[in-house]
Amino acid sequence: LPVKMSRMAVGVDVGGTFTDVILSDSEGLEVLKLPTTADPATAVLRALGRLGPKARKAGLISHATTLATNALLTHQGLAHTALITNDGFRDILEIGRQRRPELYDLETRRPSTLVRRRDRLTIRCRVGADGSEIEPLDAKGAEALAEHVAKGGFESVAICFLNSYQNGVHEKEMRSVLRDCGFPGHISISSEVDDEYREYERTSTTVVNAALSPLMTGYLSSLRTSLRRSNFRAPIYIMNSDGGASTVAYASSRPVTVIESGPAAGVIASRHLARKLSLNRVLTFDMGGTTAKAATVIDYEPEVIDEFEAAGKTHSGRSIRGSGYPIRGEFIDLAEVSAGGGTIAWVDEAGELKVGPASAGSDPGPACYGTGGLNPTVTDANVVLGRLNPAALLGGAMPIRSDLALRSIRKISGRLGLGPMEVAKGIIRLVDNAMARAMSLVTIERGRDPREFEILAFGGAGPVQACDLAEEMGISDVVVPLHAGLFSAYGLLAGELTRSFISPVMGTGVRLAGRFHELELSAARAMREEGFIRFGLDRYFEGRYLGQSHELLLPFRTDSNVRSTFDARHRALYGYSLPDKLEIVKIKVRARVPRPSSMLLQPRTPASHTPPSKRRAWIGGRSRVVPVFNREALPAGSRGEGPCIIEEYDSTLVVNPSWRWTVEDYGTRLTR
Amino acid sequence: MKSDRVTLQIISNSLLYASEEMGLALRNSAYSPNIKERMDHSAAVFDPTGKLLAQAEHIPVHLGSLPWGLANLIRHLSRERTELEAGSMVAANDPYITGTHLNDVTVAAPIHSKGEVVAYVVNKAHHSDVGGVVPGSISMRARTLSEEGYVLEPTTLWRRGKFVESTVEGFSRASRTPRERRGDLKAQVAANVTGARRVKELIARYGLEAFELAGENSFKHSATLTKKRLARFRRGNYEATDFLEGPSGEDLKLRVRVAVSTSDVSLDYSGTSAEVDYPLNAVLGVTISGAYYVLRCLLGDDIPANYGAFEHVRVHAPMGTVLNPTSPHPVGGGNVETSQRNADVLFRALYPSVRDRVPAAAGGSMNNVMMGGEAAGSAWAFYETIGVGLGGRSRMDGLDGIQANMTNTMNTPIEEIERTIPIRMLRYEFRQDSSGAGKFRGGSGLIRAYQSLADGMTFTVLADRGRHLPWGLKGGFPGNGTEVVVERKGTRVAVPPKSTFRLDAGDIAEIRTAGGGGYGDPAERDVSNVIRDVEDGLLTAQKVTTDYRLGRRFTLK
Repeated sequence: LPVKMSRMAVGVDVGGTFTDVILSDSEGLEVLKLPTTADPATAVLRALGRLGPKARKAGLISHATTLATNALLTHQGLAHTALITNDGFRDILEIGRQRRPELYDLETRRPSTLVRRRDRLTIRCRVGADGSEIEPLDAKGAEALAEHVAKGGFESVAICFLNSYQNGVHEKEMRSVLRDCGFPGHISISSEVDDEYREYERTSTTVVNAALSPLMTGYLSSLRTSLRRSNFRAPIYIMNSDGGASTVAYASSRPVTVIESGPAAGVIASRHLARKLSLNRVLTFDMGGTTAKAATVIDYEPEVIDEFEAAGKTHSGRSIRGSGYPIRGEFIDLAEVSAGGGTIAWVDEAGELKVGPASAGSDPGPACYGTGGLNPTVTDANVVLGRLNPAALLGGAMPIRSDLALRSIRKISGRLGLGPMEVAKGIIRLVDNAMARAMSLVTIERGRDPREFEILAFGGAGPVQACDLAEEMGISDVVVPLHAGLFSAYGLLAGELTRSFISPVMGTGVRLAGRFHELELSAARAMREEGFIRFGLDRYFEGRYLGQSHELLLPFRTDSNVRSTFDARHRALYGYSLPDKLEIVKIKVRARVPRPSSMLLQPRTPASHTPPSKRRAWIGGRSRVVPVFNREALPAGSRGEGPCIIEEYDSTLVVNPSWRWTVEDYGTRLTR
Repeated sequence: MKSDRVTLQIISNSLLYASEEMGLALRNSAYSPNIKERMDHSAAVFDPTGKLLAQAEHIPVHLGSLPWGLANLIRHLSRERTELEAGSMVAANDPYITGTHLNDVTVAAPIHSKGEVVAYVVNKAHHSDVGGVVPGSISMRARTLSEEGYVLEPTTLWRRGKFVESTVEGFSRASRTPRERRGDLKAQVAANVTGARRVKELIARYGLEAFELAGENSFKHSATLTKKRLARFRRGNYEATDFLEGPSGEDLKLRVRVAVSTSDVSLDYSGTSAEVDYPLNAVLGVTISGAYYVLRCLLGDDIPANYGAFEHVRVHAPMGTVLNPTSPHPVGGGNVETSQRNADVLFRALYPSVRDRVPAAAGGSMNNVMMGGEAAGSAWAFYETIGVGLGGRSRMDGLDGIQANMTNTMNTPIEEIERTIPIRMLRYEFRQDSSGAGKFRGGSGLIRAYQSLADGMTFTVLADRGRHLPWGLKGGFPGNGTEVVVERKGTRVAVPPKSTFRLDAGDIAEIRTAGGGGYGDPAERDVSNVIRDVEDGLLTAQKVTTDYRLGRRFTLK
């Protein structure tokens, strides 16, 4: 059935605390925020109901969910899963890369295994590194094993044999034997879920997929049934971790592709705005209550990585290897640091000021919320310094207790031998440093000069720090979108539907143009099978010098400039290029489905002029009295210079000295 | 710019990030599986006098040896009156200078500001083969340093943006695998290029004065934290002895006396065996690494790892012992095996001082595996290490099959091995019944079995804890010792844990690594955990009946 894009679309982002719903039509946008319910489908239905009957006319429902991530974090809802591997290799899943997550922690632990040893079953069979069969699948053993699985009360089975990335025949045979024995549950085989080399990462990906699939299948099918019952007939798409989208059927059988759908949405929203404004190098900066996330969008494409450690720990924005469950596949490359509005400041034993990683979250929240929080947070520092409204936020809906903020900071200022204002400034500077670290991870560390980027700042707390960070990174342009606090949900609608298709090459001197042609044919076939008629295709290759193991992903233009493109990038990153052969690891084609172009953020209510108020605030390294504007009262085209503060319903923009600001339809633009 | 404390802290944080970034650049551009898959390397930033400013968490055995090595390198260059010009890099692997063993090549780059050296960026990486008598270069047959492989005295590797080809080629051609060596050596330059870029940016931004103050400030911060933590130790004098197994059945004694006071910790290794003419000598840099590692575990890893964190640690190892040998005694195994025993003996000595923070002994060996031969007309060499069981801990079991103490390299993916060298892997799994029994049991060791697909392959195992088992604590039992089995035409023969042998097509070498010691009386172990281990096949019913006296408490079905 061809997908016809109606002008109206609905996005539903189910997070841990809130369910954000966004409706877009020719009139503009409508936004709703509701608490997430125990059964997330209930909140979705309730939210759609609130939008009224017109929502039933939507041409598309786009959905992001943290269901999978939460299941991995809490081990709730995961399927009772068995793993079948080769004889002699029962523990690949638990040994992992044989490395302890923390080097100097004598109480270090592995993440608890998704399949306990008793349920990791083995069978004789073997394929060689070249894909040839060395030993056939032991037919009798396979049957006995299948009986055991069928009787063992398992809901799901993962099958991963060595070298199956070259030849998955034994995995398919084993699956047939399981079915013949009447096993009714889900089966994931590694050669279909992740057909790339390195057995641990492939096993882990397959097991995570198997453990999540029954949960995801159940959730999505019940969601679809309830939606149909309530007369919502639009097709549902689930946002992928790479910012693409999947059908319900695909997401149910490959839940590993939708694990990071929520964080991806903010980056996809940024891409859309970047395209509208012709910004070809954007550094996204999304700061919420507990974390800040940074990512890049270059030439309107987010950066994508091919491995992610789900439910793992991070250290200064970098994920700690071995602390979570590795999943291979495409993920938007995000660096995340514990630096949000609720992040707590404290003093270590040697008397040094520290910020994070602990967070006051939403309960009890920052001290200034007056909801029982006693520890000083980043938000409290901003309130004490006058950077946030010291009386109320959310257009007056949320009262702020600046006295409690000050008291919380006094709690630690004595031990530092500093005044509370000095401490508050220190908190802001340290949190800026942590966020700059996240930004460096996705720019400098990937060989990109941040000064060539513009910052796109969003999330409730992002616009407060945006100028500081831009100065820290040497950046002179900042864009703050309208509704910055809800910008992520907007990504569900703004996103193009994309899907990546990969073909392994593993060779030197291979001409790629022909292979791209073939891959594009099969990509086009798969897209049409899912109902897409119009789509664009982009070409990429991954290469390395023969002998290296880590690849650079680069756009493909012609066979004749593959080499020079690669050498130039290697030189930029590492200081030299080599005369060695270039090995192409794989080629990739990304299919993009264009979306209606009307969905630009636009204010619904016209501006009504009111004069700015004034307050004392610490901005640009100095405390001074600055004008405070109300964003809703500023018509498009208004302009001015920092220092000043521009307050909006769901965020506050702090403009540093020497920055000029202009109000536009889509938000506010800052330059210096 | 005023150098307030927050600015100084920001500079120090950024230096740590820079060293992490160096490690990634090295991994991403390297050629050998040992670096690109296993990350057998480290990176750090130093001040001009060789004091450590920041070091990425890579490999503990490089924690103290990198600073020791750089200090020696600086001394060596000044003695030779060699001045490193701006933008150049020097490479060396002489362990008596750079501090580990010949396989580890150190590449250092000075960073200049206004004509003066203001910092160094340094990295160290393990090269799989540097020549010598066996593929992989670590051989019990080596009697001197030069028999262990190519000795690279400090030599310029990179000058004015170009490789010094004579250095690259001299080193690479001495190896069985020159192409891999070139790729890895150049990747070490990539790491320093990356680090130097970051350090220069910091100086340009905050000024040299702030940069220098940041170093002083971070030393002081770490020293203060260390002192506070040290106050929680019980003061006193402690001692312990542990053993390392020589290749011909003899024992090497490691003995340490530890004096803990309110302000410092002194280690005295008097009574340790004299240096030997096979490579179990550990250069002083390795010995110091062990001390730093153990103290970092006990003091807390949140203390920034810089010069100040280790200021209060004094190490005395008499010259001419296996923990402070003299050149040219061979040292290849000191870095990997003697270093592990050093960690064990230090933990053992400090146990009365910190009590339940110390775990029972881990498997205590890096289980080094080196292979090489000819395939398709060209030579190949391969190196990896295998994990062990960790010792039981006062609140939880030891981890099964994982790297312990002085190393934390990753395993080589089996699919990487099988597609690059003539080996088929037959087993890689936890070793049943190998863990030391205890209220909190030790971790299980691993079994890793390699089948040769070619005739005439040379296979070397360098492991320990074959006879002197990983000890338990507080009534916990020792873990099982290391075993190596060679199978030829269906006949299995046990060989010593330190062996070099030939494998022909179809022959199998199986390494069974040691389990960790148990913690506490096994009779106190929670019955449900015992049952779980039996269900999971980690322990047999028989083992459980004897070690855990389970028969009295519970009857197994």
